[in-house]
Amino acid sequence: MKIKLSSSFLQKMVIVGVLLLIVIVLSFLSKSFLTLTNFNNVIRQVAFVVITGCAVTPLMISGNFDLSIGSVLGLTGMLSALFVTLSIPLWFSIILSTVVGSAIGLLNGLMVVKLRIPSIIATLGTMYAARGLALVISGGNSIHMGLGKNFTLLGRGYLGRIPIIFIIMFLTIFIFYFIESKTILGRYTYAIGGNKRTALLSGINVGSIIILLYFLVGTLTGFSGTLMASRLGVGQAMVGSGFEFDVIVAVVLGGTSIEGGEGSIFGMLIGAFIVGFIANGLNLMGIHSFYQSIVKGIVLVGAVLLDQKLKGRIAD
Amino acid sequence: MEENILEVRQLSKNYPGVTALKNINLDIRRNTVHCIVGENGAGKSTFIKILTCAETRSSGEIFFNGKEFKPRSIREAMDLGISTLFQELNVVNQLTVEENLILGREPNRYGVIQKSDPNERVFQLMKEFAPDIPLNKKVRLLSFAEKQIIEIVKAIAVDASLLIMDEPTAAVSENETKRLFAIIHSLKKKNITVIYISHILDDIFTIGDVVTVFRDGEVVGTKNVADIDRDKLIQMMIGKVTVDKYVPRPVDYQEKVLEVNNLTTNKLKKVGFSLYKGEILGFYGLRGAGKTEIALALFGLDRILNGDIQIEGKRVLFDLPQDAMLNGISMIPEERLTEGLIMKLPVRPNISITNLKVLSHLGVIHSQEERKVVKSYVEAMNIKVKHIEQKVATLSGGNQQKVVVSKYLHAGSNILLMDEPTRGVDIGAKEEIHRIIRNLAEKGKSIIIFSSEYPEIFNLCDRIYLLRDGQIIKEVMNQEANPEEILHIITRGKRINYENQAE
Repeated sequence: MKIKLSSSFLQKMVIVGVLLLIVIVLSFLSKSFLTLTNFNNVIRQVAFVVITGCAVTPLMISGNFDLSIGSVLGLTGMLSALFVTLSIPLWFSIILSTVVGSAIGLLNGLMVVKLRIPSIIATLGTMYAARGLALVISGGNSIHMGLGKNFTLLGRGYLGRIPIIFIIMFLTIFIFYFIESKTILGRYTYAIGGNKRTALLSGINVGSIIILLYFLVGTLTGFSGTLMASRLGVGQAMVGSGFEFDVIVAVVLGGTSIEGGEGSIFGMLIGAFIVGFIANGLNLMGIHSFYQSIVKGIVLVGAVLLDQKLKGRIAD
Repeated sequence: MEENILEVRQLSKNYPGVTALKNINLDIRRNTVHCIVGENGAGKSTFIKILTCAETRSSGEIFFNGKEFKPRSIREAMDLGISTLFQELNVVNQLTVEENLILGREPNRYGVIQKSDPNERVFQLMKEFAPDIPLNKKVRLLSFAEKQIIEIVKAIAVDASLLIMDEPTAAVSENETKRLFAIIHSLKKKNITVIYISHILDDIFTIGDVVTVFRDGEVVGTKNVADIDRDKLIQMMIGKVTVDKYVPRPVDYQEKVLEVNNLTTNKLKKVGFSLYKGEILGFYGLRGAGKTEIALALFGLDRILNGDIQIEGKRVLFDLPQDAMLNGISMIPEERLTEGLIMKLPVRPNISITNLKVLSHLGVIHSQEERKVVKSYVEAMNIKVKHIEQKVATLSGGNQQKVVVSKYLHAGSNILLMDEPTRGVDIGAKEEIHRIIRNLAEKGKSIIIFSSEYPEIFNLCDRIYLLRDGQIIKEVMNQEANPEEILHIITRGKRINYENQAE
């Protein structure tokens, strides 16, 4: 029987291939690369990008952007520490901070849908405002006194032998993969990104779906912020600057089209690991982080170029 | 100089499965206004596209000024002296009139734009045709007709000797039409030949010298306007195509499913009509008569200024297509590629998208159920696909249209609005879609067809509303319809009050 491979499947295989290639090359270049401890390290670094990316991927598939996630991460992380110092129970401070993230997501969604502000502009606005708010509230100081030892549990703790953050990451991947592939919300996301007008004429409430997607991004970013603060053991307003680009790079490397309509959580995951392994490998080889930035840039453009060439080839 | 500026010999154009033009022979005499008329799909636009190099010909020859005309690009066709005034204008709204007139030919020194010479031909012409339009006005502040004048001036200032106008009065008010006609008159004195495409027969009798009728991709005949009257022209247009395919169907005119009163929007004026269960109702009018606008208003896509819509006696008001669909109205949109389909997705999600609720539980889609339902549509509609995961982009026009029809059937609405349901599909698919529509009506669905294609309306619809300029002019039962009289009504320009309107 002849098995027909879909182009999106082929595309996924290509980025998996790229990831494997990077792993193989790096394991030759550095002896300490292919070790359990090192892989643990990489996953820990990548986890935040992946968790947030799980919500950013459907948002970008729908053809929208969110530049505010780095600032929101900083704001909510700082708040979660601040709340604890105000004698609010840890679990409740996590929820409160996450709700702040949700509220900013909702605000982004409303600006884009109801006020029709282009998503890049609207979220650029909240990006500045959220960072400013974090600095104003914290007075620019880092909050590390009186957090209690449980504060770092989620970010650094283990459940049995497995880091808790891994569990959270895999749960998030599972939930969002399910949403993407099995639910009406997932289907509508592709429809809206594929053709907004057709989606509207098909009876889809395009506006509410986009607001919901922004809400999800805000919520997961808020939660990631508290995780980040927990891992660092400190609440700091400037945490997460440039984080939005790390997530967008992972999503785009994973084959999500900037115009929307295409992409996947799976691709984003691979994309995040490609970036994570490259950064880690360069670290192990003792290459300065200044150079890492250059490499990241080249990898991003190169990967998208490769993706376009492949798509052109498959379409022909 | 040759007497004919343009000679077309044995020109043909074949698309896969369709012949758009069959052995066209046509002479355009120098310094005349040569009108081309014909139904939608008669081949007029294909002819224009070949002249302007937007399409390539399959066979045949064109001679322009006695020389073989074979441009390789739109630019080259313009340089040779053939310019076109399309329905979509090519002006830059953000620039001034002057900047638009000189666009692409700005006098400059090392890239810095210099003051233009006010005596240049393009400004002289502008002053002559429309002295009231200030040169420093932003183009976005002008009316459509004023923008047209800018395009005409631009075209003829750069040595166009043949100007093609594609339905120039379709979106223009009465007074501005007069000015346009005055300009066309003066073009003749400037040795410019005009090919004038229009549905509005009054235009032709006002400014035309010669008229050629296209029908089904062929030239039916060419006549001097002075030697022909409206009746003869209409007969040439419709030929022997009559309503022979219409089979009278019993419709119960008691069960009213939709009633519209006084519907007024930006484009529509007091439109009122009703639709009955199991009926196929037609709205017939030229492009721009308001057909699409009625469909959009009923589907929650246009702001209703006045009037009301009742479904089975209940007053409704929709903000979104979603609301309309929940109340049992679906609209099959006019543009299947940009409004009907999601080209990046396969057939399966394209069909199921309108009603995922019935295929899901708590927001989770049953994929087996979905495949089953989609397959049943593919079979029932005879959609030719390898498998339901095939991308819709790879299907033929007819099959794509069947996907769009399937998707809105899946929505389960009892009232189906179909805007140009068979535009751009081949004859076979057209008849198949017509058969599907009749079947749906048999099963009790109420259908409204919006079409500018004469045979479609009269082969399919039980009752017909004639539409012109955003208003219903007349209602006729199919069997009482007189095709010639109907074309008389439809093809009137908006500036002449038709005598029957008082009836």
